[in-house]
Amino acid sequence: MFKVMMYDGGVYRSDELYELIEDVGGVVLQKTRSSQMLTVTMSVPEEDAQLVEALCLEIGGEVRQVPLAGTEIAVVGPTLGRHHMPHPICDIAEQLRKYGAITVVMGLARGRGKDTAQINLEERLIIEEYDAAIFSLGNFKTCIEAKADLFKDVRIPVILTSGPMPEGMEEHCEAVIPGVGRKVSRMRSPEERAKLAEIADAVEEVLGHRRKAIEEDPLFVHPGEIKALLEDYEPVDMCLRPAPIVMHLDGLRVKVPYAEHAGVIADMTVYGRRLGDVCRITPSKISDSSILIRIKTVAEIEYEDARGDAA
Amino acid sequence: MELEIDSTEDFGLEAYRSLFEEVMFDIGKLPTIEKARVSLNPHVPLFIFSVRFKSATADKTIGDIANVRTDEGNAHITVTDERYAPNILEELWRRYGRNAVTQQTRFDIDVAGAIGKEVEDIVISSGEDNAREMLGALWRSMPEGIKNRHTYIGGRVITVVATEELLLPEMLEAGLKVHEAMGGGS
Repeated sequence: MFKVMMYDGGVYRSDELYELIEDVGGVVLQKTRSSQMLTVTMSVPEEDAQLVEALCLEIGGEVRQVPLAGTEIAVVGPTLGRHHMPHPICDIAEQLRKYGAITVVMGLARGRGKDTAQINLEERLIIEEYDAAIFSLGNFKTCIEAKADLFKDVRIPVILTSGPMPEGMEEHCEAVIPGVGRKVSRMRSPEERAKLAEIADAVEEVLGHRRKAIEEDPLFVHPGEIKALLEDYEPVDMCLRPAPIVMHLDGLRVKVPYAEHAGVIADMTVYGRRLGDVCRITPSKISDSSILIRIKTVAEIEYEDARGDAA
Repeated sequence: MELEIDSTEDFGLEAYRSLFEEVMFDIGKLPTIEKARVSLNPHVPLFIFSVRFKSATADKTIGDIANVRTDEGNAHITVTDERYAPNILEELWRRYGRNAVTQQTRFDIDVAGAIGKEVEDIVISSGEDNAREMLGALWRSMPEGIKNRHTYIGGRVITVVATEELLLPEMLEAGLKVHEAMGGGS
């Protein structure tokens, strides 16, 4: 089992930290340097975590737990209108970022209303690119229950936040957090902060189940290893978009155009195999300017190998 | 502000009580409202929001919200309602130019070469603006999905009836009843 944590400190002796991460077989998930300050989100084997933590403290930094690091989560509102944005959707997204996740905030084109709310296929496919989605609905139980149609077909874990507790949602989402609803100001009171923490904890638990499921049939290669490979690819290295490589539980999002770079990326080699053979490389549904990489599991690769041998 | 609110759902009732007050406070309309009545029925859905102003939404002049005196050929303004300070400054700049207007403190403004009486009569907010802002605030308070709206304006009362699809005659009738109960004419 790997443990994800964040080093928050200076750049002084950070080379030693990188070396140790490599030595214990861990990976750097995210590295952000601002002047002399540095934050490094890393994934290291659980048995070596203490060693890494000790070094972080020795070189003058702090260690923070970031249970959602290495995930990308969508926070979805019924629309982008001022009734649904920015509160509390942005507060939820901010809380998830504190837990280490990369977040996006989305509004549906026609998600408003009780009887008229709808989601189209394109929107659903975009949401399914993420590790999990949080749907933030309003203050009326009738409306929330009617809007279950928005997320019942979404094939990633869904967490619903709402005002009152709706009924009959067990089949459609992994968790329901009531007590949020529509708000016109920031969630700043202690009760509201506690509610945000409850949401983030629920996401952590839901993704924990997903992580365990992945461990039962492990990926052929850890997303962090593909990230390290892609970081040496010049167009990615030169990419000015924020977080050009975003890790998912079962793959990555690379923010370079699919048409120009998919072929080169597919021809990269990992553990003696073409990346295109061990991953599904597709354009993002948001636009052609991002590539989605889904890593196949060991079982899938073995099955494909066996089928190839038989042929 | 006296707020009467009824709803078919308990959570929505409490949530909309604070939401309505927060929206009115945000846009600075809370002190101008004498009474508000909010009726929430998400089952239909039918939402009726009605407000009664403390006074008729007439034009507001600088004399209404500030004390003005003339001394040595200059007008001195002491603002008593700070919400209108930006409007006063904007109007004074437009009329007398920026060089003639000096804001000494948050509440005190001097205008070189102006006559007090003339300054007092300057309109800084029309009644129509006030009604329009209130209408915007009511729409902002309402749930976003209910786009079909009918507005009654009469006397000091503004009432908005809204639903999601067809505005049926009985819905309009219910809205009119609330409007009349609040003291609004047609």
